[in-house]
Amino acid sequence: MSAALFAAATAAVVFRIVPLACSGDHLAVAGGGVLRLAEGSSCAAFVPGRATGVTVGDDGRVTPHAAGSDALSAAKIPRTAYVFAPAVESDADQTALVTVQIEVSVPPRTPPGDDIYMSTDRSDWSPSEIRMDRVDPRHFRYALQVHRGARVAFRITRGSNATLERDVSRALPPAHIAAGEPNARVTVVVAAWADID
Amino acid sequence: MRRALAAALVCTACAAVPQAARARASATLEGGTISFFADTLSVVARDRASLRLIDGTHVSGDAAYVDLKNDRAVLAGHARIEHGGTTVSADAIAVDLDANRVDLLDVGTGVSRTTRTLGSPVHAEIDAKRFAFPDVDDRYAFIRSRHAAITPRANVRFSPAAFPTSVGGVPVPSYLYTFATAAGFGQTTLPGATFDQPYGLIGTPTSLTSAHARWENNDGALALQEQLASGDTAYATGAIDAPFRGTGSSGFNAYQRLGTRYTFLVDGNAAFGSREGDATLGAAFGTAGGRLTYHLQNGGYSSFDASLRTPDLELVGGNTLRLTADVGYDAQRGGDLYPYVVLPGGRAYGTVWRHGLDAFLATPIVHGPLGTSIGVTLDGSRTWYAFPRHADAVTASANASKKLTRNFSLFAGYQNTWSSQVYPGDQSLFFPIPSAPLLTPDGMPYYGWYAYTGAAVARYMNLDLQYAPPTSSTSLRLSARHTDDFYQFDGLGRPVWELRLDAQFRPFPNVGIALGRSYDFGWGGRRWLPGWSFAITP
Repeated sequence: MSAALFAAATAAVVFRIVPLACSGDHLAVAGGGVLRLAEGSSCAAFVPGRATGVTVGDDGRVTPHAAGSDALSAAKIPRTAYVFAPAVESDADQTALVTVQIEVSVPPRTPPGDDIYMSTDRSDWSPSEIRMDRVDPRHFRYALQVHRGARVAFRITRGSNATLERDVSRALPPAHIAAGEPNARVTVVVAAWADID
Repeated sequence: MRRALAAALVCTACAAVPQAARARASATLEGGTISFFADTLSVVARDRASLRLIDGTHVSGDAAYVDLKNDRAVLAGHARIEHGGTTVSADAIAVDLDANRVDLLDVGTGVSRTTRTLGSPVHAEIDAKRFAFPDVDDRYAFIRSRHAAITPRANVRFSPAAFPTSVGGVPVPSYLYTFATAAGFGQTTLPGATFDQPYGLIGTPTSLTSAHARWENNDGALALQEQLASGDTAYATGAIDAPFRGTGSSGFNAYQRLGTRYTFLVDGNAAFGSREGDATLGAAFGTAGGRLTYHLQNGGYSSFDASLRTPDLELVGGNTLRLTADVGYDAQRGGDLYPYVVLPGGRAYGTVWRHGLDAFLATPIVHGPLGTSIGVTLDGSRTWYAFPRHADAVTASANASKKLTRNFSLFAGYQNTWSSQVYPGDQSLFFPIPSAPLLTPDGMPYYGWYAYTGAAVARYMNLDLQYAPPTSSTSLRLSARHTDDFYQFDGLGRPVWELRLDAQFRPFPNVGIALGRSYDFGWGGRRWLPGWSFAITP
């Protein structure tokens, strides 16, 4: 990238970073990449583990800056700005909420008036933790909002431990996992219920 | 009350000796503040962090992040690692909790890699995942603490523990959070409760002992529960529930998967002077299967059932049919088997064999008029008894949904269940004309009871309006429900009309609220009978 293009791409853009360490004019950020501080910038502006903002100058050096809600993810920092770049880009912003779409289909023998619930490890597996929204007589859904990077294990119930889902051989299936990634979707087909053949 | 006190004493004793769990932890983390985020299983320590591993390795830094999903830790800022008298400093250090690898980050030279024995480091590429440090807002932590004892893939104990975002979560000296997902940790034999706050006392990757502070039947209760789990293939759970007033209860259940085809389940419970238990062996052959169940209860009653079911047989048009056949017997030790005791000489009846057949027909979800989606089911069964008697039941249901807008949907359902007990030639003996009308709970006489000779009908209709934006956790549901049964009168049976509103929303990222308001109309001598339901979820 030419210097002019680089400057145009990064000017006035604030990136949200989590500093790992700062020494001299070198700043290590979450993911292990090392950036170089701009002239006049000091390590005193960075507290390890505390998210903050930086701007990238046209020479690729960074300057501390308050991070507003419009700050870009650290993964968007041009790789040319790194003194040492990580082998894989990492975005560990866990303040952002993402929506995981959970879609469940239930077997025909499900009592038609029963509500369908998600039971998750967040509530110590309360069997009636989240009532799912009905789509049609045999399909349900829920927009599970979690922090980015979250991992929520869940099972499907009809509201009690006696009405837990079973697999096709009527055995307990492993928990389903909803991963907190953008546009994530988990589809569950309930084969049977513990209390119904 | 004595039982409640005993349970409280046991719970207190267990809480006082959490060393058993601490001894099994393979890492302990200390810091000026420790914040735990349950959904991401992240532990962040600030204001000087210190991580001690079970082999004596000590890692310290200005801040630390422990990733419980991947059993990794990063110590950031003025980091140091010590092992066996050797010390190495770096700007950041990444370690595994249950493996040997150590990555050292120096802002001037990049990453070098070694092991916990701290031999000569070799230069390596920067692995971004190993140096991930989450961008979290400590205000939304589930638990705030100063010390965390970590058992990988199982639990973490915080001492002390405060719950800054949980309504009703009082600070405690020690709190065990279990994140193992084995099926056994989701099982309980405790009865339902309006409120149940578990406090983990002792935990390992395969067990959890917990005390429960509960609110049930308008009274407080304490409970003690033990859960044992072996992955998703086996578990055993036992619990004692001790209300401050009223009768306590206890129960256990255990499950074992036997190969790919068989499962074994045994359970038992005792409450209100009644004790009962079941043992069930289930089998599956493809999507067909069967089960053997033995049931035993105090008073000498027992029953046995052997059933076989077909898979869902595909019929024309996507309709499915499932047949289930059952054979079994009921037994009453010493005779007096209900209901044959009314027969002349009926006290001699101690056992009766029976067999039954059930047919269940289901349509697929089909598109109906006005843009609706409709599903219909029909279920019919007959059970023949060795004594001239049979029992029939037929249930038909039809349910429809219509999407009105992106956020609004309408649901309507109808279900009709007819059931009948038939004693050829002896119907009047088993269902004699009552000498007086049945009295309902508020004292009103129910003359319609004279017409009951073994056959009953239950009809249920519902109309629900649902507001549920597809990308939001917020939902509202307004429901009108009507029942029209025989027998049903003035508080006897189900309420005739019910109107309810259910709301579910998340005011904060880690707090969910479910709120329900219901009214039963014209029932049990009341013009309307209001009811509330309320739940807070993480």
